[in-house]
Amino acid sequence: MEPAQTPSALRKVLLEVGEVSFFTGRFFREAFRPRFEWRELLRQSFLNGYLSLPLVAVTAFIMGLVLTIQSRPTLESFGAETMLPAMVSISIVREIGPVITALICAGRIGSSMGAELGSMKVTEQIDAMEVSGTNPFKYLVVTRVWSTILMLPLLVIIADAISIFACYIGVNIKGAVSWDLFQQQVFDALVFSDVFPALIKSVFFGLAIGVVGCYKGFTTEKGTEGVGRAAHSAVVLASLLIFILDLVAVQVTEIMGLN
Amino acid sequence: MEKGTTPAIGAPADVGPDAEVVIAIKDLHKSFGEKKVLQGFDLTVRRGESVMVLGKSGSGKSVLIKCIVGLLKPDKGSISVLGKDMLSLDHDELDHIRVKIGFLFQSSALYDSMTVRENLEFPLRRHWIAQEGNDRDALVKEALENVGLENTADMYPSELSGGMRRRIGLARTLILKPEIVLYDEPTTGLDPITGKEIVELILRLQKKYGTSSVIISHDLNVAKLAANRIAVLIEGRNHAEAGYDELYASEDPQVKPFFIFM
Repeated sequence: MEPAQTPSALRKVLLEVGEVSFFTGRFFREAFRPRFEWRELLRQSFLNGYLSLPLVAVTAFIMGLVLTIQSRPTLESFGAETMLPAMVSISIVREIGPVITALICAGRIGSSMGAELGSMKVTEQIDAMEVSGTNPFKYLVVTRVWSTILMLPLLVIIADAISIFACYIGVNIKGAVSWDLFQQQVFDALVFSDVFPALIKSVFFGLAIGVVGCYKGFTTEKGTEGVGRAAHSAVVLASLLIFILDLVAVQVTEIMGLN
Repeated sequence: MEKGTTPAIGAPADVGPDAEVVIAIKDLHKSFGEKKVLQGFDLTVRRGESVMVLGKSGSGKSVLIKCIVGLLKPDKGSISVLGKDMLSLDHDELDHIRVKIGFLFQSSALYDSMTVRENLEFPLRRHWIAQEGNDRDALVKEALENVGLENTADMYPSELSGGMRRRIGLARTLILKPEIVLYDEPTTGLDPITGKEIVELILRLQKKYGTSSVIISHDLNVAKLAANRIAVLIEGRNHAEAGYDELYASEDPQVKPFFIFM
């Protein structure tokens, strides 16, 4: 009888999981060892954080406004219209803000990392860096992953603030609530256990986006076709990981009694 | 000018048999899956010498120099560079010795996101030469003057022609004043005139800095002009090794086809 074989698709998935885990392990090994590439980290933080801000801000504003407008009829039917600021702000801070911001960054940053590093790989720029006595993993990967880890929570905080402001505008389209009253309703509803786990979650989202984007770029093969595939698969895998991490985070906060 | 001949542009300096060995490769083997690329390759390069490895496309020439510089790990054999066993060095030791080895890539491998000046400054910023009080701007200026492209410092690689990119690649390779330079197909993809200019440049800079070279190519004009010795890589081995004239006159059925158009 022939020995049982792992189906090739499953085998590929398992290999990919193993390789991404190994890549992540290497990041943690290199991340805390000198030499630190501060200049490149600053440049990457600017590219991945500051330049993502307009897209994140516009999306966050629309998200806050739409959520408010669409939630109003349901709350009105229960006579709970005054709960609108509290409900929307909790939804934004706990879930929608971090997840939507991370998905936007997965699209923007993940694809750009996959394409940039992929094109550096196929044009031998990474090899050139290595033969010039520079550790390309440290210079290219560690700085990029640190930048997404640091920038994602900041972008989430800004996105949350903009969404809540958009909610204020949404509330006032059909009603009249002062800024002071709105603020009070929002901050009365929000507690530490809403904000802190969401920020921790966004650190992991940043790690996932950075690691996946760099891994896909660093392992690009087969020329320009491979570069396109690296960019595309970086977005798909990072987005999938964001949802999986979100699910895990919900379970952890549930177990810890933070929900 | 006589048909088929090239005007003299200077030849590589003669090297005596007592000169120090800077690269010693013994019984090198490298396979990719079932494909055996190198099958016991041997080569010795002495200080100041210019050795060309001639071979067909896909014969393993690039694999050979990537093994020399540590980008690929051979399956078997030994590589000694400047007296160090390259296969037993750790990452930091490898980085240290790589400063003494320049590598000109076939694609030039200039960093797209950096200007020409930043490309040249990149190795300087990261190594001793920048920390010993050397003036970085002066070194960049000298490197650009060496390749005759003083006005390109603020341009991006995408704004340069193929020949200019190759020259800037050469300037970046030589900016740390390496003792050994490995050239991967330095004239491939260039027109004959630009190709000849690159060879002249290689020879001139080789004499100026006294570097030893390993040139990987299938271009016999490079062999004729720039090499003291030519090693013919066939079936993963150093099949024949001699000067240009000797190989040109060879009756070996595997060597002769290389010179068919000369």
